[in-house]
Amino acid sequence: MATSQLKAEQAVRSFVARVKPETRELALDTPLYADGVGLDSLETAELSAVLEDELGTDPFTSDAMPQTLGDILTFYGTVAAEA
Amino acid sequence: MSSEPRVVIVTGGSRGLGAGLVRSYLESGDRVATCARSITPEVEAWQKDPELADRFFFLPADLSQRVEAEAFVKGVVAQWDHVDVLINNAGVARDGILGLTSDDDIDTVIDLNLKGTLYVTRLVSRRMLARHSGTIVNVSSIVGRSGYRGLAVYSATKAALDGLTRALARELGSRGITVNGIAPGYLRTEMSHGLDEEQLQQIVRRTPSGRLGDPEDIARACQFLTDPRNTYLTGQILVVDGGLTG
Repeated sequence: MATSQLKAEQAVRSFVARVKPETRELALDTPLYADGVGLDSLETAELSAVLEDELGTDPFTSDAMPQTLGDILTFYGTVAAEA
Repeated sequence: MSSEPRVVIVTGGSRGLGAGLVRSYLESGDRVATCARSITPEVEAWQKDPELADRFFFLPADLSQRVEAEAFVKGVVAQWDHVDVLINNAGVARDGILGLTSDDDIDTVIDLNLKGTLYVTRLVSRRMLARHSGTIVNVSSIVGRSGYRGLAVYSATKAALDGLTRALARELGSRGITVNGIAPGYLRTEMSHGLDEEQLQQIVRRTPSGRLGDPEDIARACQFLTDPRNTYLTGQILVVDGGLTG
């Protein structure tokens, strides 16, 4: 796993633990929104800003709109491969 | 209350009302970042003032260009980490009857007054969301409410800013971010240079306070709206026009 993917996973898990402490499990395929973690639009924008701060880019403003943690890690994997 | 200076962005702060807003926040001890397409003597003076060495930041930028808006906001964050206060002041006017207005003039006014404001606000509000704090002031104009012959495009953009204020206040309120607007009346700035002396005197005669406004009049209202103790006043447009439209 690329360094950026590790940092992204850590940032997402830390964020979810803070805004959705009731989340029992965050697997790679757990939906981030309604039927999964339950992030609303403002929380999603906040996560987007957190990832941008941490990694300099984020999937939400790159037309990727990830649905799961796995999608986010895939995005950073692609970015790392292209760098 | 934190004694750390606030980080304040004033867009279009190189002259006129914007320069008055920058001056006000520098005087209140804040860190102030501003941008404009070109540098002015006021900006040069602030840049050279040793007492403002770590409290004034200027980057040339045309905010109607998304890339330049992004570079400006990223520059401020790189310098001071975050943004506490955003004052969307940058704007341009082109006077003339709409039926004779060129495509270029329509684009120029909409691209800066509206799209530029949206670009900067999008970038800054994301960061305010992550901090669960911040305050935004959109500088519109009384002509966005009352209209003015020959300023149709400008008036339309200023009315749009009032809509932006109300929508964003609803959108961001739950995260501790306030969003308000100020609608100035007619000021003694470059922006009123399109009015001839007779028009200005007519405005003065109709204004209960008997004078045109100064940038300081608007700055005082702005300081009130951005006071850190203000956590309950949001989604409002404060008209500061000497009573002209009261």
